[in-house]
Amino acid sequence: MKVAIIGAGLGGLLAGAALSREHDVEVFERLDVYGGRFTSLPYKGFQLTTGALHMIPHGPTGPLARLLASVGADVKIVKCVPDGNIMKKDGGQISFYDFRELLSPAAQAKIPLLMASLLIQRKGTVADMVWNDPEWLALSDSCCGWALSTLSRDTPAAEASAIIKHVIGGGPGKYNTPGIPMGGCKAVVDALAKIIEERGGKIHLGSKVDKVIVEDGAARGVSIGGERHDADIVISNIGHKLTSDLYDWRYMKPRYAAALQKIRPSAGIKICLAAEEPLVGHPGVLFTPYTQRVNGMNEVTHVDPSLAPDGMHLTMTHQAMRSGDVQEEIRLGLQDIRRMFPDKKYSVLLVQCYRDDWPVNRIASGFDLGNLTPIKGLYVVGDGAKGKGYIEVEGVAAGVMNLLDTLKKGS
Amino acid sequence: MRISQSCVGCGHCKIVCPVDAIETCGVSRITDKCIECGRCKGYCAIGAIEEGA
Repeated sequence: MKVAIIGAGLGGLLAGAALSREHDVEVFERLDVYGGRFTSLPYKGFQLTTGALHMIPHGPTGPLARLLASVGADVKIVKCVPDGNIMKKDGGQISFYDFRELLSPAAQAKIPLLMASLLIQRKGTVADMVWNDPEWLALSDSCCGWALSTLSRDTPAAEASAIIKHVIGGGPGKYNTPGIPMGGCKAVVDALAKIIEERGGKIHLGSKVDKVIVEDGAARGVSIGGERHDADIVISNIGHKLTSDLYDWRYMKPRYAAALQKIRPSAGIKICLAAEEPLVGHPGVLFTPYTQRVNGMNEVTHVDPSLAPDGMHLTMTHQAMRSGDVQEEIRLGLQDIRRMFPDKKYSVLLVQCYRDDWPVNRIASGFDLGNLTPIKGLYVVGDGAKGKGYIEVEGVAAGVMNLLDTLKKGS
Repeated sequence: MRISQSCVGCGHCKIVCPVDAIETCGVSRITDKCIECGRCKGYCAIGAIEEGA
């Protein structure tokens, strides 16, 4: 079978690597680099990411790690220890698992109710789940903002519940908590690209697909600059909405069109810091519930020092976008950093925004549309087709696995 | 080179610019230091960079 893949982001490369074992794979990437929002570019000796924060949410035991292993990708993922801390109001840190220390007795008394909600709540948002209680909201906004780039009020309770179940019980470890790929994001996509090419597949950079060729209601290939590339199936890694722009709307189904209209991406801002002394002090996530904007940060150089120049640390903060005023969002994020580290020596390397057609998620978590499109043989992978209940790139991997199952059943 | 208003501020252009001719903070701006090498165009996440003044 000939497989054409639109977009060499993580989803496209995972699908390509998996399918290249038995099929002819060609990947078409618009940019001059593969990896999408899951690679890095060198800058002043630092490996700055194009999106993800050199971190794999469920570490060496999660869906991405399992899929990488199953396709034969040579990637070492190191589990973060500690996995997560919380920055207190005074700037000190406690383990994430000691979060109750941050709560008043009244808020602590609600913990059993919240545990019950996590098991049974199917409707509403995370904000509803925590009763819009300001103390709980600070914590839940920090977690949702860091992991999903959404606020509690925009995160479906059912999705949060599914994610927590996966974190607590979804793998061989006690907790499916974060890990860092040695060599960063780029090591992951390099390993996948190598597999595709070693198996005879091709990755074409600087190749923008301008059309999905549809004949008799089925995808038959793609067109690049008017040149036809035949395929038996087409897999798109550019999200449902941009994919739908590549074929004639007469193939659109009303229900799918209505779903496309409702798509909301999740937006966020990453601030990359260069520090001579550690700011976070460990490789795990540091959640920051008591800030104006920054939801959390990590300092991956504790695990992989090669991501920064000798003796330096790379620290990355992330914040969900709370308004459309980007400059104000950045200003408040930078102000948070100054307040959190008043006596530390660091510099801002780069502020990166993820929004519009280059968002954190093409479809906010909990609203993913799955792999199918109205066109037979045209599928979507990536962060618009994540598997339910998985964070970011884990969702991308779960979505690719769903597609592989679909193709297997159909063959 | 010219950056259109659709720039999202991903910063790729600044990272790959060989002469540090780009400022980024929410959106990107090309300064007078630009040597028109065009490298930024190939890395622009949303295709917002065009040739010409």
